[in-house]
Amino acid sequence: MDDNAIVCRGVSRRFGTRWAVSALDLTVPRGSVFGFLGPNGAGKTTTVRMLVGMLRPTEGSIQVLGKNPATEGEEVRARCGVMLDNVGLYERLTAYQNLVLAARIAGFNPVERRARVEEALRRVDLWDRRHDRVSGFSKGMRQKLGLARALMADPELLILDEPTAGLDPANIVRVRELLISLAEQSGRTIFLCTHLLDEAQKICTQVGIIQAGRLRAIGSPKSLGAQEQATVRLTLTGLAAGQEHALALPDGVVLRPLGGQEWRADLADFAETEKLVAALVSAGVGVRAVIPEEVSLEEEYLRLVGGDNQ
Amino acid sequence: MTGMRTMMWKEIAELLANRRFLWVFTVAVLAMGVLPALTFARHGAKAMAELGALFLVLYVLFATVIVVANTAPDLVLHERVGHTLDYLLTTPLSVGVILGAKVVVAAGVGYIAGLFSIGVQIVAVAMFSGQGPHWLFLGSGVGQVMALGLSAALSLYVAVVGTFVALRLGEQRAAYMITVFSVGLLVIPFVIGWLHIDLTSTWAWHTAMILGLIALGLVALGVRLFHREMLVLYLQE
Repeated sequence: MDDNAIVCRGVSRRFGTRWAVSALDLTVPRGSVFGFLGPNGAGKTTTVRMLVGMLRPTEGSIQVLGKNPATEGEEVRARCGVMLDNVGLYERLTAYQNLVLAARIAGFNPVERRARVEEALRRVDLWDRRHDRVSGFSKGMRQKLGLARALMADPELLILDEPTAGLDPANIVRVRELLISLAEQSGRTIFLCTHLLDEAQKICTQVGIIQAGRLRAIGSPKSLGAQEQATVRLTLTGLAAGQEHALALPDGVVLRPLGGQEWRADLADFAETEKLVAALVSAGVGVRAVIPEEVSLEEEYLRLVGGDNQ
Repeated sequence: MTGMRTMMWKEIAELLANRRFLWVFTVAVLAMGVLPALTFARHGAKAMAELGALFLVLYVLFATVIVVANTAPDLVLHERVGHTLDYLLTTPLSVGVILGAKVVVAAGVGYIAGLFSIGVQIVAVAMFSGQGPHWLFLGSGVGQVMALGLSAALSLYVAVVGTFVALRLGEQRAAYMITVFSVGLLVIPFVIGWLHIDLTSTWAWHTAMILGLIALGLVALGVRLFHREMLVLYLQE
């Protein structure tokens, strides 16, 4: 069995003259939670649609669970649970009927169907509302029902587009925990499109940042944040804002005032911290504290996509 | 077949929960059943002649067309608006099953509306004419074929046109108008003299079969044209 749930090689998709996705190379190992980050219009939805065989790539090749979705789409879709950004629930039907539909599509017999639907509704705390029409549901309830529907067939690969959108903080935590437990307990792969960087940092084992159809970075949330530069936070005495320009600092080190005695220094490497401290002390500056600071995923994301994040 | 049954179950469950559909169905059946019966009451026994009775078949066909022309676009358009068609396209169901179930259910409810309107006509004529129960057009072979065969072919034709026009246009009123217009197109060969109406059972059978074959041809063409990727592109518009 292939160790990777998703393998994209040079995947591009064109609509008319516009390239929605360009030369996408992506590998998502089985059992991982992959966060796919990017601003609106970056190509996330087009990528999801190609992964489940709704669209064919103009160039390149895709393997999902060892199958080509363009030619073996039915098999790929049978093994994937998908929740799109517009959840797409039947408003005239009840929550129960919506899940019965998913269970029937998955091919469960009537006995299995009843058990699966009850389990799914209880998992997302909607069992008591099972006979209510979806038209009366809040956004959060719809999101939870959509998630329950995506999980109905116990899929090997779960593709989720903004699953926590519209949920209150308590439910966001609940859904996060559910996703992590799904990945850990069953070895299920989760492909998560999200705008919430904090969410990606907490849930994902790997993230990819896409902008204007191109994958700009890929790696663990920690490695992405740390890959460009090291930053330290310093508490200094005897140094006023503006005086830092007169200091003889090691090459490439940038010292910036944060207010009061707090300063931030950007270094090429954390190993340069000693040289910086030595330079400060020799210039007569008192060094009270030096704290290494991780560049967050959010900072790295904003650096990569700039002001494109609408 | 399981997928088809599933989709048909879903379409029927949705129709039964759709007040607008229930309203259109009820009004069409009652109106096309009671209105011609009032004419019978006015003209009495003379209207019971075969030609007069055949006139009532037109009302059965009207009931069918009204119900299908409303239902078929609605089955598609509420999926477009609610993004549920996107969901269906992420499932293992084939496009043929997704669209085929809509066509079958829309045609089915139209045919049932036609049958119900026949029942209402029989009851209403018995009540208003004062001459007791009468089988009306069902008493003649040509009447039977037109009421039971031609209405089936017509409901299938209207369901196919309504489904695919709604998929392409994405707008209820326009889809309804074009669907009704497509029924009007069927009359043109008779109006310009290419074809002639011959009120015999054979003619009625041939007409029903040809119309049914045209409808099936349109189903095959529609499923071929509206493949999964094409539907996704329409949904993106």
